[in-house]
Amino acid sequence: LISKSDSTKDRVERAVFLAVVALGLFVLVGSFSIGLGAGYDRIGPRFFPQVVAAMLLLSGSSLSWGVFRRGKSSAGEHRRPMNLRAIATLGVALASSVLLLERAGFIPTATVLFWLAARAFESRRPWRDAWVGLVLSLTAHLAFTRGLGLALPGGFLGSLF
Amino acid sequence: MDALSQLASGFGVALEPSNLLWAFAGVLLGTAVGILPGIGPALTVALLLPVTYGLEPVSAFILFAGIYYGAMYGGSTTSILMNAPGESASIITALEGNQMARAGRASAALATAAIGSFVAGTLGAFALTFSAPMLADLALTFGPAEYFALVVLGFTTISSVLGGTPARGLLSLSFGLALGLVGIDLQTGQARYTLGAPQLLDGIHVVVAAVGLFAVGETLYLASGPRAGEEVTRVRGFTWMSREDFSRSWKPWLRGALLGFPIGGLPMGGAEIPTFLSYSLERRLSSRPEEFGRGAIEGVAGPEAANNAAVAGGLVPLLTLGLPTSATAAVMLAAFQQFDLQPGPLIFTTNPALVWGLIASLYLGNVMLLLLNLPLAPLWAQLLRIPTPLLSGGILVFATLGTYSLNHSTFDVGLMYLIGMIGFVMRRVDIPVAPAVIGLILGPMAEQQFRRALAISEGDPSIFFTRPIAGTLLLLALFAVVVPPLWRSLTSGFRRNRE
Repeated sequence: LISKSDSTKDRVERAVFLAVVALGLFVLVGSFSIGLGAGYDRIGPRFFPQVVAAMLLLSGSSLSWGVFRRGKSSAGEHRRPMNLRAIATLGVALASSVLLLERAGFIPTATVLFWLAARAFESRRPWRDAWVGLVLSLTAHLAFTRGLGLALPGGFLGSLF
Repeated sequence: MDALSQLASGFGVALEPSNLLWAFAGVLLGTAVGILPGIGPALTVALLLPVTYGLEPVSAFILFAGIYYGAMYGGSTTSILMNAPGESASIITALEGNQMARAGRASAALATAAIGSFVAGTLGAFALTFSAPMLADLALTFGPAEYFALVVLGFTTISSVLGGTPARGLLSLSFGLALGLVGIDLQTGQARYTLGAPQLLDGIHVVVAAVGLFAVGETLYLASGPRAGEEVTRVRGFTWMSREDFSRSWKPWLRGALLGFPIGGLPMGGAEIPTFLSYSLERRLSSRPEEFGRGAIEGVAGPEAANNAAVAGGLVPLLTLGLPTSATAAVMLAAFQQFDLQPGPLIFTTNPALVWGLIASLYLGNVMLLLLNLPLAPLWAQLLRIPTPLLSGGILVFATLGTYSLNHSTFDVGLMYLIGMIGFVMRRVDIPVAPAVIGLILGPMAEQQFRRALAISEGDPSIFFTRPIAGTLLLLALFAVVVPPLWRSLTSGFRRNRE
């Protein structure tokens, strides 16, 4: 599941730089919906966002232009294969963490996050990963709630300690 | 000798048993986390921020100083033993030190790095002791125009120095500035770019961005690439070096410290530039330049010293002006703000115990680190054997924990992950992430000072050019933008003419 990537780098770069241009437009358009504030303010709350928008538009478009000009000549120059399965696994890990944190509490959430991250890095020892993840999460939970007095989402497991 | 009496009172604070304990805990934690491959000093400080929450500000910053220096020492061990620099300032150490390690000279490389860091760190702390009060006095005369000019100079040098090309640095900086726009505008009380989310009214916390970019972004980047098992060189016993190594090292240490401190204090992205300069200087001065690239001890001694002196140098603008010059300093500034402290010239008079306790603890931390690193290097090296899957899992768990504990907010955790994904994309297309972190914290500062300056001058923009310090700083900023490309085009034209 490793994608082929000859000219994909150029395509990705172009997409990223165009996304920056889009962000610049978003900031620019958004600046007009900011109220102008009181009259005593010489430079209003719109000015600085507009400068930032200009910087985004400038850097995004100049880099896009660079990719466009370079064209096909550099295609395949920077081959950097992308491990899509690992990225997808980590995406699931992060999503599960956001969804579980308040509902299940810190300990199960962190254990699942840890375990899935280990999967992304092709660990071949799922049981060890689960144990290490659980012990780490439990220790961190105790150290932070008992030792440092910080509140973490308890959930069922947290309420036992 | 006012500085000396102030320093003495600072030692009085730092030598209190509880603070001594915090300093020790800091260097221990900083070394342990900083040594983990892929964790640079900025991330170490950000991840360990929650540890300080329950403490008094003075103790918290003594702990912090220890973490900061410990992370630097830990990072050099990683670079030498496994060629995995955690940040750009360790690239040189990884280059030269790892060659030494492979040639069976790991012990000498670790020793020259540790002693050089100690020498330069102590000299740097000494220079900080005397230069910080002077700069603080000067900074008392600064108005909004000067602060604005200073931040603009920082923007231009940081975006042109960090990253391969200025355009990419500028892109990263602009992204950070855009993130900094989010939240309530302090002058008018209006929400900007919050997309209707009440959690964004207070803006995006620097730690959320730093942890996202450096922890999650880096983990995703690592996962996306090929699985390369880096070899870890073994070390045994007490690390030490021969008399010859010592005589080859001491001059590079001093030269590195001399380069590192002033450059680290300028707004040029921290320790990266001085380490590179020190390396090329040592190669030029060496009687054996052919050894460079194959494990020359001077190439470890000089850059490591420069690196640590630059950390002390970077504390000068951070403490006296509230101006961070590196991503790590940006996170430190966020830590100050977490305690409702605003670094700047006033903090020297309003909170002398904190500032001088912090400075005094730098001297103590360096001694502790030397004592911890020389005999215990083999023990620390054990941490490098943690398998990548477990290490990455641990990084994500602690990134989540640290971010959540900022505001007890799951929203922040999700935002941190999202910024991490953006950081991953940036890494894939070679956009440096450090300027984004600096832009995020400096952007709101630039806007505030700009608007304040124009309020004072009643809208007359000439205030930025008629005040001598502000005008000079802006002129320097203009040079930083115009000169490098002009120089490049001139020299390439010259070369073409010769051909």
